Amino acid sequence: MKIGNTFLRGILYDNPIFIQLLGMCPTLAVTTSAVNGVGMGLATTAVLLGSNVVIAMIKKFIPAKIRIPAYVVVIATFVTVIGLLMKAFVPALDKALGLFIPLIVVNCIILARAEAFASKNSVLLSAVDGIGMGLGFTISLTILGSVREILGAGSIFGKAIFGASYQPALIMILPPGAFLALGCLLALYNWTVSKKANQF
Amino acid sequence: MRDIIRLGLILLLITAVAAAVLAWTNDVTMEPIADQVLQANITARQSVLSDASEFEEMSTDTFAGYANVLEVYKGLKDGQVVGYTIKTNPSGYAGPIEVMIGISVDGVIQGVSVGNHSETPGLGAKASDDQFKNQYNDKKAEGQIDVIKAGTPKDNEIISISGATITSRAVTAGVNAAIQLYNEALK
Repeated sequence: MKIGNTFLRGILYDNPIFIQLLGMCPTLAVTTSAVNGVGMGLATTAVLLGSNVVIAMIKKFIPAKIRIPAYVVVIATFVTVIGLLMKAFVPALDKALGLFIPLIVVNCIILARAEAFASKNSVLLSAVDGIGMGLGFTISLTILGSVREILGAGSIFGKAIFGASYQPALIMILPPGAFLALGCLLALYNWTVSKKANQF
Repeated sequence: MRDIIRLGLILLLITAVAAAVLAWTNDVTMEPIADQVLQANITARQSVLSDASEFEEMSTDTFAGYANVLEVYKGLKDGQVVGYTIKTNPSGYAGPIEVMIGISVDGVIQGVSVGNHSETPGLGAKASDDQFKNQYNDKKAEGQIDVIKAGTPKDNEIISISGATITSRAVTAGVNAAIQLYNEALK
């Protein structure tokens, strides 16, 4: 039961973007298309899972006073190792996601989950939390990227859907569009989900 | 005081482990990554000058004094020179863009490939899409290519990526540098 709860929290009730408003920098910067949203989300999920597990394992050895620098070192090491391994052994994946890997280091969602969850819970629960939060992040980024791509480029996952006569609202894939789309989606999400979340 | 030393030592231990892990990863991945880069370069040369079957690097003296030109390869087929591939790195919106240009011996641009860059995803990053870079194909390698924002491009013009004029101009600057080098030093 607890595992299911933890998992659902990440995706729905504690959604990292729509509820916790974490990791806004990559959220606003890379969601110019649906594909980018999926890529950034999956790369983050991998790192989140890894760092949550490692931090849950070593939490007893880290004194409270220096936990933040210790977490940052663990996360940065993880990101660099994943980046290098991808570059060396799966170049196709690196071509698609490589752009996002360095951005993950500065993503506060990783540190937030380390501090708020992994440092207090078991390895298994931390792994579930990492996957749940990661998927929640991926889904939200994909939705945001889709909305911006449809309005700003007239396509979805790179496929044109409106035909040549459609004049795309270019502003939606420029930085201001990120704020506009995120604001509207936030309002919509909280309007529909908040009632349920309060009962939860 | 003792507490500070203890915390410092623990932090030292953590960072030392992290450094060891990183050093080991770097050691394991260095060679494969160098191979990938080499392979990517070969593929890029092949794609911009498909007539050639083998490539021979030309000495740096050939393009000494040309800003932004990184390397020049002679494309050969059956021992005959069929063209040149020129790699340039003009400055884009967010850093240098790797642009490889293939020019045949009769002075026609055979292809342009956009390699590593850090342009904005969704905007400048579209420079590596066929729709943009194929515009350079079959243009004559003489004079300069201009960038226009809309309308019907003339023989020496290309249409910029909407929302990414700086990137479009940068790629074109790379192509123009290659044209200039071709006309002055390779022709």
